[in-house]
Amino acid sequence: MTLTSEADAAAEADPRHPSPEPAGARAAMPTRRRRQRTPMTWIRGGGAWNLAFLAPMLIVFGVFSWGPIAQAVIMSFQKTNLITPATWVGLDNFARVLADPNLGTAVLNTLYFAVLALIFGFPLPIIMAVLMSEVKRGKGLYSALAYLPVVVPPVVAVLLWKVFYNASPDGVFNTILGWAGIPPQPWLQSSATAMPSLVIEATWAAAGGSIIIYLAALIAVPPELYDAAEVDGAGIWRKIWHVTLPQLRGILFIMLILQVIGTAQVFLEPFLFTGGGPNNATLTVLLLIYRYAFQNSLGGDYGEATALSLMLAIFLGLLSWLYFKLTDRWSTN
Amino acid sequence: MKSSRRIAIAGLAALAMAGSLAACSQAAEDDGKLELRVATFPPGADQAAYDAFAEQEKQFEEANPDIDIVGLEYEWTAPTFAAQLAGGSLPDVFTVPFTDSKTLLENDQLMDVTDEVKELGYADKFNPIILEEVTGSDGAIYGFPRQAYANGLHYNRDLFEQAGLDPDSPPTTWEEVREAAKTIAEKTGKAGYATMTSGNTGGWQLSVQAVSRGATLQEDNGDGTYTSTIDNDATKAALEFLHDLRWEDDSMGATFDLDWGSINQEFAAGNIGMYTTGSDVYTALVRDFGMAPDNYGLTVIPLEDGGKVLGGGDIAVMPPTIDDATKAAAVKWIDWYYMQKLLNEDAAVADAKALSESDQAVGTPLLPVLDQETYLESQEWIKDYVNVPLDQMTGFTEGIFEQTPAGEIKGQTQPIYALMDNLVQAVLTDQNADVDALLAQVDVDAQALLDE
Amino acid sequence: MTATSTPTGPLKAKLSAIVRRREKDATDTGADRGVLSEHDRKRPSVRVSTTAIHVFLFVGLVVAGLGPLLWLAKAAVTPTQDTLTQPFALWPNGIDWANLSQAWNDIHIDQYFLNTIWVAAGSWFFQLLVATTAGYALSILRPRYAPVLNALVLATLFIPAVVLLVPLYLTILHPPVIDVSLLNTYWAVWLPAAANAFNILLMKRFFDGLPREVFEAARTDGAGPLRMFWSIVLPMSKPILGVVSVFAVIAAWKDFLWPLLVLPDPAVQPLSVRLPAVQSQTELDVFLAALAISTLIPVVLFLIFQRLFLRGAGLGGAVKG
Repeated sequence: MTLTSEADAAAEADPRHPSPEPAGARAAMPTRRRRQRTPMTWIRGGGAWNLAFLAPMLIVFGVFSWGPIAQAVIMSFQKTNLITPATWVGLDNFARVLADPNLGTAVLNTLYFAVLALIFGFPLPIIMAVLMSEVKRGKGLYSALAYLPVVVPPVVAVLLWKVFYNASPDGVFNTILGWAGIPPQPWLQSSATAMPSLVIEATWAAAGGSIIIYLAALIAVPPELYDAAEVDGAGIWRKIWHVTLPQLRGILFIMLILQVIGTAQVFLEPFLFTGGGPNNATLTVLLLIYRYAFQNSLGGDYGEATALSLMLAIFLGLLSWLYFKLTDRWSTN
Repeated sequence: MKSSRRIAIAGLAALAMAGSLAACSQAAEDDGKLELRVATFPPGADQAAYDAFAEQEKQFEEANPDIDIVGLEYEWTAPTFAAQLAGGSLPDVFTVPFTDSKTLLENDQLMDVTDEVKELGYADKFNPIILEEVTGSDGAIYGFPRQAYANGLHYNRDLFEQAGLDPDSPPTTWEEVREAAKTIAEKTGKAGYATMTSGNTGGWQLSVQAVSRGATLQEDNGDGTYTSTIDNDATKAALEFLHDLRWEDDSMGATFDLDWGSINQEFAAGNIGMYTTGSDVYTALVRDFGMAPDNYGLTVIPLEDGGKVLGGGDIAVMPPTIDDATKAAAVKWIDWYYMQKLLNEDAAVADAKALSESDQAVGTPLLPVLDQETYLESQEWIKDYVNVPLDQMTGFTEGIFEQTPAGEIKGQTQPIYALMDNLVQAVLTDQNADVDALLAQVDVDAQALLDE
Repeated sequence: MTATSTPTGPLKAKLSAIVRRREKDATDTGADRGVLSEHDRKRPSVRVSTTAIHVFLFVGLVVAGLGPLLWLAKAAVTPTQDTLTQPFALWPNGIDWANLSQAWNDIHIDQYFLNTIWVAAGSWFFQLLVATTAGYALSILRPRYAPVLNALVLATLFIPAVVLLVPLYLTILHPPVIDVSLLNTYWAVWLPAAANAFNILLMKRFFDGLPREVFEAARTDGAGPLRMFWSIVLPMSKPILGVVSVFAVIAAWKDFLWPLLVLPDPAVQPLSVRLPAVQSQTELDVFLAALAISTLIPVVLFLIFQRLFLRGAGLGGAVKG
């Protein structure tokens, strides 16, 4: 109430504030709904302005989002190599993808990546954030240090870690292992250790972002809860267990889903570190899609690529839906 | 004179990147001149290469005043190739490696040049094995083979000396290769032997090594179909050889994700004793990877059990869509730019002179595209301009004509190389890799590709 | 920090008070305590452990966060052989400053860096343009069909980017209406990046929370939709503009696969695409120098705008939540 009148008065009082035909504008608004709709009333009711403001979105989404999504669905039922006209092939693309022995490998590898990423990458930022939120001094410095790897361009990070992973005894990591008396590891050069190596780098690159988010969430934990717990005689561990973690439950679950969505689409690490090797040990679903579409020099199999994309999309769509359900609930709480 | 393999590795076809230019390339007449768009080098080629090209362009235009040559920088990259084909944005003249020529010509994506080749009079001069690379199942000729190479065994003379081996008598059997690799690894701590494993180059070099042991990887049924025969004793022997070097002798170093670029880099840096690749790699090693010429050695690949030496190369081609006037001009250019230096003393000398003056390698050992006699004669013509250490390559130059050449597999070449990458990666990164099972599986998968 | 044209006088004061309150709400609702109480902190065992935590955090974060970058800085000016044989020795054979100039001149880091900035700047601009205008139209102008559009935009959130890879690539090759391939132009990166439903969602949610009274007042006052957008809504939205900007720039900086596909011409490629491509042609020491230069600039930017980055990241998490 007060705000309206104040703002109103302020605007009125400002001589530089232009007010073209104020009477007309005022009169038009309350009556708009009752009038017969004609192009003129549409324009005067702001219809043109509405469209003008919506235009950038409509164009960009129409051409680069809605259109391609529709096209993806169509293409998954077609065979096309861009050279000869597309032909309808029904469910052939899906059948061929499902019959591809590499699909099983890629799905398992992606799951393996996701599980390893959860083991390495999920608890670490939580622990770090809880510890960091307890120190009184140096929080700024610690946050900055933790966030530093996130700032390094991801491609640079991967290429740098590729050097670290040099498998000779003089490699960077192998030298460090050597100090501890551990024999040199093959890292990317072995089917067994390649995937964990990718996950370690991915964890390093991403942990800082999660730490900052958890720190923000920890600040929001109401201090009264700790006070209340102390009144009940809770010690430090019980406070963490019964207050901190339950309070973080929402964000933890969201971060978990986000991480699963992210890892299901992992591409950069396997593409740059190993190209999916050795012997497909790091072939992921997204890399397989890329291979279908873009690896073959003489025309990609775009139908298979979109078919597999759609299958992945359905899985991810379900996860995203879950994510939105939860965030909606969480943000309204 | 980029190594043909350099373009090939990235995956194969050296095809032009002309953006949307080709739309207006249909004999666009400008002040009476016919504009001919020709492929030159991949982006990033050094200035000297361009200077040499500009000089040649000038010479050609003086001789053919009605043709205006437009050089287009180009580099083939997998993600854009199909789009280039679809969009019709290729130059009027470009080159493709043998590995992709068959697929292209069977897809009707190359111009039929049978009459032109015959008219120019070198149809019967071509090395028949090489002519086969550009001949369709209809018997027509679809391009001009312009350069060919054989795979060779490249070795680092410095590492040989450090290991107490004689760099002037490199190994001649695979068993000697293994012994030398072991000695180098023990004495110098470097990788005695290495092989490419990724980006389809692993499959490429595995076929080189398997064919040298007498393997035939694919049967051409002569009716456009092929039968995969990857699963054979020679391929298995090649894989077991790698497995033994890696796991029994530990003589292959610690890096097993090498491709054409990285293996050359490692070799040039003195970290690899021996490896196999195309005989024309010297140019790239010295110019792009900074190898000291004194350390370079080249000999032939050991052949056993009726084995052959695998070769490769590229052909100059035209898209099938250009009109007759452009086609005629394109044939003139191909003849002048690519072919005459193989047949004509003046052209050969002019070419060698231009290259050596701009510090490009002259005299890197190749295979004859035409008959051997013409080739040897042409080497005599340019003798004064040769600037590569031929005396460090005698093992190859003296032995190569004793070897029986073989072509790469023709059906689904690159996709099958990609499958074979996995074989090499498996034996090098998994000590317990089941070679029999892997080979059987790759054979099945390759056949599935061929049956598509 | 300030928009070019803002309301003046009491209205402005009122607006900035609202904005400030919202910013405050978003950042420090919690009081200055965590798990440990003042009482806890006085216990000797806790004091020992907090010291241990300090040491652990400091050492751990320096080693993990700073360590790789310091090593990179060292390796950037170390000859290849030293890096390969004694990765932790400090210049056993002297410093090789030439690596840096070689990386700069031979790999053309300057050019690719400029390309990267160009990619990021354009993506940022188009993302903000689309997100603010669409958010404004859907939240404040709210035409009758707004809910339908809103649903259409939200629906795209459930569809992962990977589905779009192939059809979007084909769209870039043959865009509708204009029959010119966008391949090798920055439009091919900017425009698809702008079709970001998450940005619109963030904007719309923020605009939804702005007090309606202000708009009614401005409207009564005769401000047209454009003026309301530019002079009232945008200035009130600085916090969310900051968050979306940080997201936009970081996303553009990180993007690899898409520019790899649509910018095959090295002359227009950003660093993220170019560096992997030149790796095998470049000697290790020069390559590491190139990596170091490519890292230095974002790191310096981060150190200067640390607060903005960290707040953006934290707020981003909170808003995401």
